[in-house]
Amino acid sequence: MPRPEERVGILGWGAYIPRFRVKAEEIARLWGFEPSVTKALWIEEKAVAAPDEDAVTMGWYAAKSAIKRAGIDPSLIGCAFVGTESKPYAVKPSATIIADALNISKVKLSTDMEFACRAGSEGLRLATSLVASGTIKYGLAIGSDTAQANPGDILELTAASGAAAYVVGPSEEAVASFEGMVTYITDTPDFWRRDCSKYPMHGEGFTGEPAYFHHIMTAVKLLMEELGLKPSDFDYAVFHQPNGKFPLKVGKRLGFTKDKILPGIVTPWIGNTYNASALLGLAKVLDSAKPGSRILVAPFGSGAGSDAYSIVVKDRIEEKRGLAPKVEDMLRRKKYIDYATYAKSRHMILRNV
Amino acid sequence: MKLSISIHWRRKETHYRLALTKCRACGRVSFGERKVCPYCGSKDVTTLIPSGTGTLLSYSVSYFRREGDEEFLPRITCLVKLDEGAIVPGELVDVDPDEVYIGMKVEAVLRRYSSDDPYGLIYYGLKFIPFLKG
Ligand SMILES: [Zn+2]
Repeated sequence: MPRPEERVGILGWGAYIPRFRVKAEEIARLWGFEPSVTKALWIEEKAVAAPDEDAVTMGWYAAKSAIKRAGIDPSLIGCAFVGTESKPYAVKPSATIIADALNISKVKLSTDMEFACRAGSEGLRLATSLVASGTIKYGLAIGSDTAQANPGDILELTAASGAAAYVVGPSEEAVASFEGMVTYITDTPDFWRRDCSKYPMHGEGFTGEPAYFHHIMTAVKLLMEELGLKPSDFDYAVFHQPNGKFPLKVGKRLGFTKDKILPGIVTPWIGNTYNASALLGLAKVLDSAKPGSRILVAPFGSGAGSDAYSIVVKDRIEEKRGLAPKVEDMLRRKKYIDYATYAKSRHMILRNV
Repeated sequence: MKLSISIHWRRKETHYRLALTKCRACGRVSFGERKVCPYCGSKDVTTLIPSGTGTLLSYSVSYFRREGDEEFLPRITCLVKLDEGAIVPGELVDVDPDEVYIGMKVEAVLRRYSSDDPYGLIYYGLKFIPFLKG
């Protein structure tokens, strides 16, 4: 029996990376980290949103590009989901602001989702299911974050800003089709942020093995088992990227060669963009992958869970690439700032307002 | 700067989508949603949503300080000639003042205008950035 998601594909993709970059070694120097830590994590610099940017504005840009590439009338989009852990309002949806600003149909499902770094991917799964069921024709899923980290925490070396968005719709119209998707989730105490707390905390021993590696490996193995595929059947493998090292390590353990993982790597140059991380990696691969390529994508979110997707690129992709800025264009657009400017930009300086 | 929630909401189409008025009588395009064409007085007008790209006509770098504005200074205020013909006022961001030049290609992006910190509304609207290749 065909899987429901086979009826659905990606029509358009979009990315956004803000212009500011702060060097990881600048953060490490300020807080007295052992200098080799940036190499150990493979983090060179991270993207920092400007003071007037947030998860809404960055998500808007990525979604605008995704709709442009999809070439559809936004008023035909039947859902808008925003996955973020840095929503500007605790209560008031980001999705409605983005949707109205892009003239997306007002008759739609629309919500902000939270599942640490994989909420955007959950949105993508739900949008796909709505299309597969015939409830809607087109759906929009966004992952966008201005990731927070407690100043001086090891996470501050990587916590960054960025967004990615996808328009999904009928497979016949798609530039890349879904072959299958699975999700694996357990209660794991690796990372959390309490209500009204500005910065997240992490359960040190849990972030690696029991969280990131266990969930991604389980989800990816399950997907390959269900689809009867093996690592050598994939041309690309994109994983959630909390740093540059983890995706290479998890890919190697699963049996993917380094050359299949490197094209989707973005974190060493922009940091961990949380909900955008794996989805930006996928966008980067879609910017250049040849038709017929098979892509594995495995987002991960703390708390914890991982999705695994198998996506096959179709011929129509070539004509869509030039319609919006590529991830490479945004990686090149950068202005280096010092720690003080970064702190001001991310509202980390205490002021009377 | 304190904005009005109701005025901002009423002008949402202009702030979010740069809504313009196109005159069917004289063919000219003007900024904002209007009932009457400012050029010929005709009431035979329709709303036009532009693509958001245009060219920088003029700009001014301002260091003027208003409460709540400090983190955005200096501000570059500008006039942009949209590809659809209308001239619109706006703010240019993501560029240093010494990199700005007349004739620069720009595109509209959603940004925060201001916010009633710490617990009030956040006002979103379009600003301009140097055109991103795409
Ligand atoms: Zn007229």
